[in-house]
Amino acid sequence: MAIINQATKELQVKIVYYGPAMGGKTTNLVQVHDHVQTAAGNKGKLVSLATSSDRTLFFDFLPIEAMTIKGFKTKFQLYTVPGQVIYNTTRQLVLRGVDGIVFVADSQYEKMPENVESFQNLVDNLNSLKIHLAEVPYVLQYNKRDLPNVAPVEYLDFLLNNREVQVPSFGGTAHKCEGVFESLNMITRMLLQKFISQSVPQYA
Amino acid sequence: MATLPQLIEEDIQSLDETLREFLAQTDATVALILDKGGFLLTHQGEAGELDLTTLGALASGAFMASQTLAGLVKECDFNHTVLQGAQYSLCTMNVDEQCLLVVVFPSPTGIGVVKYYSAAAIRRLARQLALARARDPEGGLDLSELNIANPEELFRKKPA
Repeated sequence: MAIINQATKELQVKIVYYGPAMGGKTTNLVQVHDHVQTAAGNKGKLVSLATSSDRTLFFDFLPIEAMTIKGFKTKFQLYTVPGQVIYNTTRQLVLRGVDGIVFVADSQYEKMPENVESFQNLVDNLNSLKIHLAEVPYVLQYNKRDLPNVAPVEYLDFLLNNREVQVPSFGGTAHKCEGVFESLNMITRMLLQKFISQSVPQYA
Repeated sequence: MATLPQLIEEDIQSLDETLREFLAQTDATVALILDKGGFLLTHQGEAGELDLTTLGALASGAFMASQTLAGLVKECDFNHTVLQGAQYSLCTMNVDEQCLLVVVFPSPTGIGVVKYYSAAAIRRLARQLALARARDPEGGLDLSELNIANPEELFRKKPA
């Protein structure tokens, strides 16, 4: 959960990239790290706890500072989870304290069962933390749109975004940085909107 | 009611004071208070070139992973981890349900001293953090002036 530090004038927010294995979560963070425009010192190192074959083992982590609101620095911590099914306990750990989620789905037809399974796994893991999906802002990114065998966006929406309230979804080609900033900026907007609706004006 | 947990000046002063005393007692190098979600709340000591944000995220993740391991072997009295190095060691201790204390100390100091003095420090830290959580959060951060429709205020991509 986001933390306001009145003493250091900081608002700290945690965003987690979730989704099936090899869907492009780490690529999203790499692209943000490589392409984001920030003032000097506002972007931290991208830390990857990965296996020797570059599969995420624990998480990837990118701290980044975005903007100042009323004198408060907003510090975002971007995490990915390991997508492989066996690492479910790790995914639960990374979700702790989450403020917003970018669900990165793989658009290829043959990956649909994994997308659905991963989304249900997200719901289950949030429930294990006593969080309901409806309480957490999230966006969907349909990645790998450059591949030939992709499902139509409407079909992905039918599978993953078929709830009472539809959330924003974006087509993406993360390795070309397409859809990456659109997803990140939208989840940021949704988070700030949530905080605005929750916050109470401070009267001196 | 504001729902974002807040730490005011008084909280940070109290936490920092406790950390300073603890560092003086133990000759530790740096001490950090973390939220278990990975956020760095405050720190004291000689951080030097240390990347405390990353250290906090990794220490928190490692502690939570170890705690899960302890649960798997039915160990319910799990409250700290120690990483021992040749020059520096790192101890991560449970403060309360939400927070951790991380101490980086010269290895010759020994974990015994750190553990001995940490007990009182952790009690004080936990007390202050409980006060912060219980405080009436009247002073919510008003974000209403932020124009979230303006993309200029969010993350921008470098021009190609």
